[in-house]
Amino acid sequence: MNEELKENIMGALELVIDPELGIDIVNLGLIYDLEMDDESNLTVTMTLTAMGCPLAGTIVDQVKRALADIPEIKDVEVNIVWNPPWNKDMMSRYAKIALGIR
Amino acid sequence: MLPQNLGSETNIKLPFSFIIFSLVALVVSQALLLFNGQMMTAGSFRIPAIWSAAHLLILGWALMVAMGSMYQLVPVAFLTKIWNETFGFIQFFVTGTGIVLFAAALYWSPQHAMIPGTLTLLGILMFLLQMVLTLKAQAKPNILTAFVGTALVCLFLTIALGITLIYCLKSGAAADYYQAIFKSHLLLGLTGWFTLLIFGFSYKMVPMFSLSHGFPMVQARFVFSFYVSGLVMALLSFFTEQSLLLKTGFFFLLVGFSIFSWHISIIIKKRLKKKLDKPFAFALSAIGFGNIIHLSAFILLWTPGFKDLIGPLVYTYILLWIILSITGYLYKIVPFLWWTFKYSKEIGKAKVPVLKDMMNDRIIVPVLFFFVASVIVIFFALVLKSVILFNIGQSVASITFIVMAFSIISVLKK
Repeated sequence: MNEELKENIMGALELVIDPELGIDIVNLGLIYDLEMDDESNLTVTMTLTAMGCPLAGTIVDQVKRALADIPEIKDVEVNIVWNPPWNKDMMSRYAKIALGIR
Repeated sequence: MLPQNLGSETNIKLPFSFIIFSLVALVVSQALLLFNGQMMTAGSFRIPAIWSAAHLLILGWALMVAMGSMYQLVPVAFLTKIWNETFGFIQFFVTGTGIVLFAAALYWSPQHAMIPGTLTLLGILMFLLQMVLTLKAQAKPNILTAFVGTALVCLFLTIALGITLIYCLKSGAAADYYQAIFKSHLLLGLTGWFTLLIFGFSYKMVPMFSLSHGFPMVQARFVFSFYVSGLVMALLSFFTEQSLLLKTGFFFLLVGFSIFSWHISIIIKKRLKKKLDKPFAFALSAIGFGNIIHLSAFILLWTPGFKDLIGPLVYTYILLWIILSITGYLYKIVPFLWWTFKYSKEIGKAKVPVLKDMMNDRIIVPVLFFFVASVIVIFFALVLKSVILFNIGQSVASITFIVMAFSIISVLKK
């Protein structure tokens, strides 16, 4: 996958906001990996801030919807993983400031 | 791989039906209490109007909220789908009708409460069946399953004992055990069902709302063991009339509750979200109130004043622990449900509000502050048997409850 497409995808994913925290999933550091196969199917490997988060289903749908308009992607699969567990160091500086974490 | 049942998949109308019903019941129960306050301050808790108000408050408001919230929370907390949603709607209509008729019967003619009581029982049994079949599908039971499962067992016993009470009243049977059954009904309903349920779900909601990670969970086992042992001992003491057993039971309940408070404080210290939301902070303060009431009950048990003070203490336990917890979480759950319903399809496409924008934040602090203050005033009014103080406290409480109900409903306009 070229850098430009990757940036495009990350830009689209920045529209997916965790409504509880008011911060997008990219800045929260929830996106672990993006992988595209030969047939242009994208697999998004990501985590959530809490296991059993009630927003899980919603966020998965939203990731798919946010990426639906990118013409280079044929299909999106979202793979939720719990390992490595998410922690505060995965957040961007912006997210930390927004949450008041030093 | 992603489990198929990840996320909230319950039809939002199901939890909402329960929650809206509960808010109406809350307002009516408050009006009843307001018009019958004089008798309550004279120490007569067990008169038809108070029975009616108490059951509207506990069954109509707290139980219906708990059921609605469980329809929403169980699938996400236990990663398993609700067994049958249509059955859930039928259960809502049966339970709702049962509670309305039951409260009406208690008010006008308690002798005729048996049939609506049985209808309520049927509704609750349907709920229990729904939850048992839902929890059974859970892949790996954990300590939360123990809390919620035991709470459900206690709910069943509470209702069974309640029906027994009505039967005793009607037939005069088991008159010797009436007091013991009545006490067991209260204990199992308040501490067994509500407290264990709030404990269980707190372990899910506290880390979620505070964004806490890396905390120990071993304390939860002690909370469960102590609290349930205390419950069993207290129950046995009601029937054997052994005061030492009762004291030991209350001590175990106190220890269990205190470990829970301590454990939650450990979880909160591990949080990433520095500024906690106001309703959530109030829900946490309810734990403090609950703990103080447990401690007071245990100390008072050794004094002759226990008999006079247990009524007011039970009242504050219901209001400042159970209802304050539930209300705090309700202010979080309702916006979430509505947000999911209305905006989840738009996110990623257009700008949507965040959960905090769904609720008028400014109203929450004064509403909950007046709520706590009025309950404390009512507590002292009951202790001092002051009608004026009671009327002041109850008027403020009722107005607060009505504002609260409308502020929660107002989310639906966003």
